[in-house]
Amino acid sequence: MSEKLSLKIEARHDALSDITAAVEDLGQRENWGADLVFKVNLALEEMGLNIMDYGLDGGELEIELTSNTDALTIEITDNGRPFDPLNDAPEHDVTSELEDRAVGGLGIHLTRTVMDEMSYRRENGRNHLTMVARRD
Amino acid sequence: MASVATMETTTEETGAMGVTFERGDGVLIAKTEGRVDGANAREFQTDLEDAIDESDRVVVLDLEHLTYISSAGLRVILLTVKMLRKQEAMFSVCSLPDTIREVFEISGFDKIIPIHASQSEAIAALKA
Repeated sequence: MSEKLSLKIEARHDALSDITAAVEDLGQRENWGADLVFKVNLALEEMGLNIMDYGLDGGELEIELTSNTDALTIEITDNGRPFDPLNDAPEHDVTSELEDRAVGGLGIHLTRTVMDEMSYRRENGRNHLTMVARRD
Repeated sequence: MASVATMETTTEETGAMGVTFERGDGVLIAKTEGRVDGANAREFQTDLEDAIDESDRVVVLDLEHLTYISSAGLRVILLTVKMLRKQEAMFSVCSLPDTIREVFEISGFDKIIPIHASQSEAIAALKA
C-alpha cells in the first residue's frame, strides 16, 4: 500500500478542517489506525498553525503526505520568511509549576514526542519541514 | 452518582465541538464532545467561562467523548484551572480515552490535574 497526497492550504486557522478531512480519508484508505491519524493531525495542526502565525503573512502552505507500509512522511513547505519551527520557538518545560507554566512551546513539545523524526531546511527561498511517523 | 440532579443543561455546538453542562449537588460537570483544536479553542474557552459561576466550588470536565485535542485546547484547560484556583474551586478531569490521556501525559498535565476513571469517581474524590 502506498499513496502520495498533496494539499494547498490557505494560511488561515479555519483551513484546519480541510487538513483533518484529507488526513482522515487518507488514513482510512491506507489503514493507519486511529492512533496514527491522531498523531498526524496533531503534528499538522501544531506545526501548520505555528508556521501560519510566525512564518507567514497570509499566502499558503503546501502539505505533502507520503504513506507507505513502514512509515508516513509529512512535508510542509511555504515561501514565507526563513522560519525553523523546531528551533525558533521556545522549548516547553513540562516540569514547571502550574502557576509559572508558559503556554508557548507546548505544540512543538507534543509534535516532537509523537513524531519519530523531524527536520527543517531552507531551500530555494522556501521553508521545508519534514516529519516522519513510523508504522509499527 | 444518583444524588446529582440535573438542574441546568446548556449545549453549545461549535463546528465539531460541543460542551454540555450539568449542575447539581454543588458540582458542575462539563461534558466535552468531538474535537477541540486551534480553530475552535476560543469557543471552548467562552463556553467554559460562561458556564462557570464564581460560586462553583467543584468542577469536573468529562472527556469521554472527546476525540481530539491539541495544544490550543490544552491551553484552555490550563486557563480554566488557573481561574478555578483563584476562586478556590476544585477541578478534575475524568473518563479520558487513551489517545487523550497520552496527550495529557506528554504535556505533563497529568501531574497538575487529577485524572479519574469515571464521573462518579471524580465526584467522590473531589467531595471527600
